[in-house]
Amino acid sequence: MPSTVCIADFDLPTRSASGFMLRHVVPRLEPIHLFSILARRFPFQLSAPQSDIIIGMGHGDVDTFTGQNEAVILDAGRYNPREVRGKVIKLLSCQTGVELGPDLVKNGCAVFMGYTDDYLWVMDADLASRPWADEMAATCLMPVMDGINALLDGKTAREAFDIELEGYGRNAAVEEDELIKSCLKFNRSNAVLLGDPMARIRARPRIKLPLPPPPLILPIS
Amino acid sequence: MGSKEEWQKYQEAMRAGDAAAAAEAFRRFQEAKKQEGKGGSTPTLVNLSTKSKTYRNAIPVDQIPDELVTNPEFFELMKKIADKEG
Repeated sequence: MPSTVCIADFDLPTRSASGFMLRHVVPRLEPIHLFSILARRFPFQLSAPQSDIIIGMGHGDVDTFTGQNEAVILDAGRYNPREVRGKVIKLLSCQTGVELGPDLVKNGCAVFMGYTDDYLWVMDADLASRPWADEMAATCLMPVMDGINALLDGKTAREAFDIELEGYGRNAAVEEDELIKSCLKFNRSNAVLLGDPMARIRARPRIKLPLPPPPLILPIS
Repeated sequence: MGSKEEWQKYQEAMRAGDAAAAAEAFRRFQEAKKQEGKGGSTPTLVNLSTKSKTYRNAIPVDQIPDELVTNPEFFELMKKIADKEG
């Protein structure tokens, strides 16, 4: 069963997070990725029903998850339940745990993982052309990647969720920058898991990291 | 005074709801951090919220003090962070 990976890439935050997704998650998945201009509603509608996992990164609100240029991908109450039924869903986005997450669970998704408030981190804007090299951003984003990779290893949603939370805690304990540390604590406190914590997907093959950097990086328009 | 102490003062000002004092304390925190050689070349606070918010998705860290004073919604966000940390 394929996966649906929907990754926006059009401004600094989406460039930063998409860089980590491309480097640490995407190589493990089937080559159908809704990346950049493909992160839109129509390709998502085609891909999602066939998938066992939906991984999304883009801007969000309490009831909306968006893709490229904030094109709406999932809007609470305005999607076909077939797109989400039985799926493991992880959204790296702001506030989707407030209304959209519960709505997804109500419409049959196995488990939803997201955040109930803004997802914040500190990045180095000078590294926008090679975001995976940004150590400041890695402090917040690598726990998310580790959690997603745990899902792809076949671990349960609860185990994957705990791995992400432990990552925030571990990084906060050694982080010297107080602003970054406060972002880690904030994101950790806002992470939510809704639905069946024992849900899991078919394990994907493991890859040896680090991979060489992905080749496609375009200037931000 | 080190960056940790300046951060404490910033948080106290945030919890007290004093935007001007928080902005000034954050400036001093930034200055202390620079003296300690911390931070990347262009550190920027980013978030994944939609355009429905009045604050930007990417705020260079050195502009945070101005944003705290001029944007009440951003101040509320940073206050929530300070409250949760405390």
